[in-house]
Amino acid sequence: MILLSHITGTLRQFGVVVALIVLVAVIGVAQPTFLTLPNQMNILSQWAPVAIMGIGMTYVVITGGFDLSIGATYALCAVVAAAVGQVQSPIVAFASAIIVGAVVGLFNGVIVTALRVNPFIATLGSSLVIAGVTLIITGNKAFVVSFAPFTTLGRDRLAGIPYSGVLMIVLFIIGGLVLAYTAYGQSIYAVGGNAEASRLAGIRTGPVVASTYVIAGISAGIAGIITASQLSSAQASLGANLVFDVLTVVIVGGTVLGGGKGAIWRTAVGVGILATLQNGFNLLDIDAYYQNVIKGLIIIAALATVDWRSMFPRRRTSEPSPPRTTH
Amino acid sequence: MSTTTPSVALRVDGLSKNYPGVAALRDVSLTVLEGEVHGLVGENGAGKSTLMKAVAGAIAFDGGRLEVRGTVLAGGDPRQAANAGVAMIYQELTIVPEMSAVANVMLGRMPTVGGVVNRAALHSTYKTVAARVACSVPARARAGDLSTAQQQQLEIMRALVSNRRLVIMDEPTASLGPEDIERLHRIITDLKSSGHSIIYVSHDLDAVLDVCDRVTVLREGAVVVSRPASEWTTGTLIEAMLGGVSLSGHGTRAARGERGASALTIDELHAPGVALDHFDLRHGEIVGIAGLVGSGRSRLLRTVIGDLPLSSGSMTRDGYSVDWPRSPHAAWRAGIALAPEDRKRQGLVLGQPSAWNIGLGWFARAAGAFTVRLPRLTAWARPSSDRVAFAPDRLSAPAGTLSGGNQQKLVLARLLARPVDVILLDEPTRGIDIGAKAQIFETMRALADNGLAILWSSSEIDEVVEHSDRILVVAGGRVVTELPAGSSTRDVLTWSFSGGTVTAEPTPATSHREDAS
Repeated sequence: MILLSHITGTLRQFGVVVALIVLVAVIGVAQPTFLTLPNQMNILSQWAPVAIMGIGMTYVVITGGFDLSIGATYALCAVVAAAVGQVQSPIVAFASAIIVGAVVGLFNGVIVTALRVNPFIATLGSSLVIAGVTLIITGNKAFVVSFAPFTTLGRDRLAGIPYSGVLMIVLFIIGGLVLAYTAYGQSIYAVGGNAEASRLAGIRTGPVVASTYVIAGISAGIAGIITASQLSSAQASLGANLVFDVLTVVIVGGTVLGGGKGAIWRTAVGVGILATLQNGFNLLDIDAYYQNVIKGLIIIAALATVDWRSMFPRRRTSEPSPPRTTH
Repeated sequence: MSTTTPSVALRVDGLSKNYPGVAALRDVSLTVLEGEVHGLVGENGAGKSTLMKAVAGAIAFDGGRLEVRGTVLAGGDPRQAANAGVAMIYQELTIVPEMSAVANVMLGRMPTVGGVVNRAALHSTYKTVAARVACSVPARARAGDLSTAQQQQLEIMRALVSNRRLVIMDEPTASLGPEDIERLHRIITDLKSSGHSIIYVSHDLDAVLDVCDRVTVLREGAVVVSRPASEWTTGTLIEAMLGGVSLSGHGTRAARGERGASALTIDELHAPGVALDHFDLRHGEIVGIAGLVGSGRSRLLRTVIGDLPLSSGSMTRDGYSVDWPRSPHAAWRAGIALAPEDRKRQGLVLGQPSAWNIGLGWFARAAGAFTVRLPRLTAWARPSSDRVAFAPDRLSAPAGTLSGGNQQKLVLARLLARPVDVILLDEPTRGIDIGAKAQIFETMRALADNGLAILWSSSEIDEVVEHSDRILVVAGGRVVTELPAGSSTRDVLTWSFSGGTVTAEPTPATSHREDAS
């Protein structure tokens, strides 16, 4: 019995990894092109923006928050990068985009912590503001950058790997280490796990929570410059519906909405699952409309497996059932 | 169906209820007549709430018989109790703030025609019942905007609408002003005349004697005596509640030979629901806060660490004037820390390991800003967890899997692991077994002997008296007196019940030292 519960416990913890491996194997067998290097590199550069925003979103979700504005911020930052890139060096352009992302994140963070607005409502509102500002800036036209070095980040490769993919991997590593091994990262788990206890233990919960929105904003900035660089242009319509992909990779990985549990590696696995599915669908020539149906069902299934125990709490025990110890 | 004379509203026969290690109710028998207002008084933990919860079906009981207006209740079935006519009005009112007054009154009993709410019937019912309690609240008013007294009226109206004729009121006057109390008593008198029975549970002895026909005193889970209200006075009630309890053997320990230097002084503290003129806490000293349920013990402690807003007040630490902490974070920095009342909700992150919880709020110092890992946290937490006798092999277990006593030790260890001089403990012994309690007290004394200054509270007054060097008595949010070493439970209760308003009544603490010895 103990062994069995140990196995099911481990399965629940690393089930997403097993799911990814099975998925890769199935699609790899069904459509061998999937596993070829060019295709894999393609996936990497295609998914880098969503994956990077997924890192920022993971931070926010672990505090028990939510950032619906991340897609709009991404579009704004891409537009800023392209606009500045028309007249300035790529470095300046990229830096401005990231700063804009950070400022937007701070704005969200202050609304959520100082003004105590529910994160869902706060970022729903700010996403409208941000999208509006983006349209005002662009006049609903695309900014095209003709300066060649602007596209290095998006199109060139380092030892065969797209720069964007390299950047994504580096950010996954940094983001993962910070969350798992720094005092700051543990404070994020603390606030998400029990905000009241954290506050009474001396954690300044407001700044901790607000900082995660800044991180999400910066991640949207980085994602925005990658896209602007890939397209050598940017327009206001870029971020539409992207927030759902970002949330999907976070949730499918097993980071729990409501806070306290989750990890960056989970988001990486979530990206893997979603990217594999999407690419597999394309290679297998499955209609895009069906793809959405399947993606939606996967989100629901992921939430269902993660939360099934809390949905049916065992009665009679006053002690809470032993929680999972891993993030 | 009726097995009793119809004039009995509630008959409790030999009721008993055991919690692990405690007999909360012991062979309790009680009769409440129709049209009677029955007062129920007793110390904290005397069993009043347990008895009322049993009657209302909120908890099951272990033995005895419970009969409401001819229906024998099985226990633990709130629906059955409600159908038999029991309406319970808790101190924490169960008003839905976002709904209208009328919707709150008619909650779950909306008159409908074919599934659609019958507005005419709804409002006419509300009008009738509002008139009965002279309630002037408009039907459409948002319940959350109403005063406590008005919300209470809505609850009473709810009982009337559902025609429940045995109304239990738990501490109904706790947050009411004198005028509202008078009004409530008029409503009660009116209900009585229409044959309703009311059980009035309260610490407010004057109010009890004012409105009740009969008063029953509970002590240590048993009925001491039940008499017509006219035969009681405040003094005899207090006497009966305390009885011969624990006057022998108990009493604060004699003042320790050397008191250390002043660790914390508080002057002219005023905050919502908190008032304290002057207080000095010294190194090496344990000061207890005693008071009845709802007297504001926790509020006082949470105001000191800046978790609740301050109106005015000044503080010195180790003789130096300091800014009043504006947040728990600031309090920690000033060397003042609180172990909160509710360990699970306010103290611990249950899903995380024990050692992690000891490091909570201090991770960078505990394990290094960039190297927080469980083995490092465990090694760092070890000395402080040893000081509170926490089993080292549990340090990596999630806090949620520990017993209450171990969780309390964990919260204590967190305080000890950091540079803190002044330790505030809010109900450190609540819900933990007797062995763990003894360990906690031992630890507290050892820490004080090591120079820490400890201010703590407990709802068990005997406990405060026994384990403190001095006692602050809180009543109605005010610190009404400071009792010296050698004071007794009786002194504390006398001050608690008189709320400091009857200054002549409490006898000097010294006169009880003879009783105590």
